[in-house]
Amino acid sequence: MPHSTQLDTERITTSTPESEAGVLVVRRHHLLVRCSHWLNVPILLGLILSGVSIYWASPVYQHKPNPQTESVDPLADIGIWICAHVPGLHQYSSAPDWVYNHISLGPGMLAVALRLHWLCAYLFMLNGLVFVIGSAMGGGWRSLLPRSTDLRDAARMFWYYIGVPVAKLTRRSWMPPRFNTKYNALQRVAYFSVPVAGFQSVLTGWAIHKPIQLHWLTAIFGGYEKARIWHFWLMWVFILFVVPHVVLVLAEGWDTLRSMIIGWSTRAERSEDFCQ
Amino acid sequence: MNLEDEHSALEADNISSTESVPSRKPAGFFRERPPEVMEVAPKLLRHWTRRDLLLFGMGAIAAIAGGGSLLPQTTLERLGIIHENKNWPKKEWFLNRSLRIDDDVAEALYSRNRLVPTYSKSQITPLRNNYNGATPNPSYIPEWRLTLDGLASGLSVSLNIRNLLASFQVHEQITRLVCVEGWSAIAWWAGLRFDDLLRAYPPMSKARWVRIESSVNLGPWGNPDPYYVSLDLSTARHPQTLLATHLNGKPLTVEHGAPLRLVAPVKLGLKNIKAITRITYTGDEPLDYWAKRGYSRYDGI
Repeated sequence: MPHSTQLDTERITTSTPESEAGVLVVRRHHLLVRCSHWLNVPILLGLILSGVSIYWASPVYQHKPNPQTESVDPLADIGIWICAHVPGLHQYSSAPDWVYNHISLGPGMLAVALRLHWLCAYLFMLNGLVFVIGSAMGGGWRSLLPRSTDLRDAARMFWYYIGVPVAKLTRRSWMPPRFNTKYNALQRVAYFSVPVAGFQSVLTGWAIHKPIQLHWLTAIFGGYEKARIWHFWLMWVFILFVVPHVVLVLAEGWDTLRSMIIGWSTRAERSEDFCQ
Repeated sequence: MNLEDEHSALEADNISSTESVPSRKPAGFFRERPPEVMEVAPKLLRHWTRRDLLLFGMGAIAAIAGGGSLLPQTTLERLGIIHENKNWPKKEWFLNRSLRIDDDVAEALYSRNRLVPTYSKSQITPLRNNYNGATPNPSYIPEWRLTLDGLASGLSVSLNIRNLLASFQVHEQITRLVCVEGWSAIAWWAGLRFDDLLRAYPPMSKARWVRIESSVNLGPWGNPDPYYVSLDLSTARHPQTLLATHLNGKPLTVEHGAPLRLVAPVKLGLKNIKAITRITYTGDEPLDYWAKRGYSRYDGI
């Protein structure tokens, strides 16, 4: 990684030969935003691991008992299918638990899962506050606000990303759509949706945690049972976001990842057409 | 921001910020601001990078160690990370502490004057019997008596179901029972108000808690497994906290805690103890069956 740092700085310094010492940098992320970004990793991991263990105790989705396996839970069915079809797993001791053994704390751990879930949930709310303060202090929230052109531009960006591997294979030039904002439209849609989903997760969480004292909140989400379903699918928003997020950041290169750690980016050239 | 601005900034000192204001259009409050371009010495940037990466790495190691040590023993064993018991002594204390905070929040949300939502008869749903998978032998019912202890009179009172039904007004309510497992059911209950019993047999003045026991509970293999819950007096005094005798218009069956069970809709289902045999008022918080097994003690919802 120090290798690519040098590449970056070399590129900049050679492009501005008159000042050997100068590197142009822009501040991408406020310190508090960076902290809350990285704190989300262990907190969300804890919430999902314990959350799936809580789900195990009474799955939202159940079907009539399967006469062969006596299973009522589609996640248990998936485990049974995997153990029957994946080589090397035929001897797995408890096939219905396979999924829970791999994406949760494990089955039959409700008490400890609840304690971890509450701990992580309070940390998640505090972390949300850190993010709000950080983006207010750094002004970064303005870069996240949706724009009227976002849907069309996001579709173009999506098409570009899809085409990148094809262009690489066929060695054809494939230019990204131009944009002169901090984020491209697809990023903006994603980075705006995730805090919204986080806020919704907190609301639905409270709705199912305190369905009596906060019954008005539970009613907003269509009652206790529906609030559980909302809460469950909001988890998938995070999972479905994280996978392309990590892939694209790694593809983008060191500067993008580094800017979320040190806050500075050396990609300062883009600013020239910013106000046009 | 344009190139000229940047070049004038280059001539300034080591770290300098160019002016970002001169935009032709007045920037609206919601409008994205142009980035502030600064010039730094590569050496300084490398220094920042090194320093922050070091801090980031230390934070990551701390998070992995701290987060990992909070995971349950069995999970870590399954992942192959540890093979013997390596629970650090403060781990349980720490997890219980966070549970306690959540209990305090629940207690702060509770109000004796806030009524629980009630439902219509068409919304009643089947009520699962989570009686540990076993049903007690109904032979205890004819002999059944309710004992009250910790009263202001200093005496112990023993009541049978006929005394109770004759001396107290019966109230009905259709409320939701929410289980800690996540499922819930809407049921139509009838019985006396716990508050009325408290008025008729006042507890001793220093009482803050109620210990409620059922001696007829069975474990999963049908062995006797006495069940007991702790309940704060404030919840016992809630107008919708019932000592129920009827479910869906019929006397309680053995599965649902005949002849008398607690219905406290402001609490999780596990506090709604069945087949109550003894009520004791205490000054200190009594033990609770599920709290001893790692669940919350307050369970307010």
